[in-house]
Amino acid sequence: MCGAKEYLQVFVTEPYLELRTGPGRGYPVTQVVPRDESVDVLKRRTDYFKVRTERGVEGWASQKDMQKVVLADGTPFTFPLGDRAGFTSHRIEMGIFAGDYSGATLISGYGSFSFNSQLAAELSVGQFLGNASNGTLIDLGLTHVFVPEWRLSPFVTLGTGLVHIEPKATLVLPPDRTDQTAYVGGGLRFYLTRRFFARAEYKSHVVFTSRNDNEETDEWKLGFAFFF
Amino acid sequence: METGLRILLLSALLALSGCASLRNWLDRDEPRTETEESQDEAAQASADEVEEQPPRVIEPEVERRTVKVPKIDNENFELGAVFGALSVEDFGTNPVYGVTAAFHVTEDFFFQAEAGRSTAGKTSFETLGGNIQLLTGDERRFTYYNLALGYNFLPGEVFLGRGRAMTSSFYLMGGIGSVDFAGDEKFTVSFGAGYRVLPTDWLAIHVRMQDRVFDSDLLGESKLTNNLEANIGLTVFF
Repeated sequence: MCGAKEYLQVFVTEPYLELRTGPGRGYPVTQVVPRDESVDVLKRRTDYFKVRTERGVEGWASQKDMQKVVLADGTPFTFPLGDRAGFTSHRIEMGIFAGDYSGATLISGYGSFSFNSQLAAELSVGQFLGNASNGTLIDLGLTHVFVPEWRLSPFVTLGTGLVHIEPKATLVLPPDRTDQTAYVGGGLRFYLTRRFFARAEYKSHVVFTSRNDNEETDEWKLGFAFFF
Repeated sequence: METGLRILLLSALLALSGCASLRNWLDRDEPRTETEESQDEAAQASADEVEEQPPRVIEPEVERRTVKVPKIDNENFELGAVFGALSVEDFGTNPVYGVTAAFHVTEDFFFQAEAGRSTAGKTSFETLGGNIQLLTGDERRFTYYNLALGYNFLPGEVFLGRGRAMTSSFYLMGGIGSVDFAGDEKFTVSFGAGYRVLPTDWLAIHVRMQDRVFDSDLLGESKLTNNLEANIGLTVFF
């Protein structure tokens, strides 16, 4: 779409570089680029790079093969891989959860931004659907992973949020309410494969109600997450 | 004769060296600035270095080329719109429209978020019963969202005529979400399958079928309702 764009040129050092018709191992190999020829790197999708050969042929090369090409100055072409090292240290992670929020079924998603391999700012949004009430919750906090190198690594989390509760119709219908919350929690992350990990989490919320007593609610959830 | 010539030459040499030293001595008398001194020192230091280094036969004039790696465009996000038909159990089949977003994590798996809206029709009881209305207009609105994990399988190509091939893939989806219908929100489990064809690298056409299952007690008894949705979608990768 943008013809004037400058692309990175890399050189093949292996006997040949295989090009597929699509970004996946299931797509057939239709072209090969011989040693010492160059290709332009156009874009990347998941673990595949779209490249253009000197003759103008385009195709997709796997991340594994692209680790063996070199730049014009002879240095290897390096790029972030989705592997265990990435699990230990990454910028962004996102995930989805199913769980329980004080007896109601919880659906939740989260995104986090890591300052370093241990500390991250995290935003999570959830909806709970129960027999007595429905509602939504939003939390913003900090997460600390103790030993990010471990495959099964525990973490603690601390933050604040809002909860909106809509009680279901009864004889006396209490109004909807939105209250501020604070939470403390912890959980476990377990690296599965590639960019995926499983995450189990518990949070103990204190809901600052307008009544005399504050409420305490428990949140349990389990889900899948990925990093990039 | 010869010795006389030697003496003459030697005396001339002495006189010259004497003049040189005298000039040095005179120069020293003049006030010198710090920069001059430092320049002299630098010159002295470089001269020392030259003396220490072995003489080079060829001075290399080739500068080492450094390659600046431009940012490679990552196209893992997919965003688009869908349009289709949704069959709300007991309430007939009606048009549905929605938005869909996906993040492709690996060549096999992707995360997907989708939201859609439809308006349910009348139950057969309402149609036959004349003026009976089970739900108000607002309550008939069927709104859902869903967070799902997708799995690509059966990758392939489709061919259009002689000279055009487009990559394609079947995929399975399973997820959780909620449906807002008849004045209540229900926890919903969705599963389905889809077919994706990419005319270009960044544009995809989807055809998909999904079942949204939730528990409903709207018609007196609590039952699991299956709400089937078939839609076509257009998405862009970026």
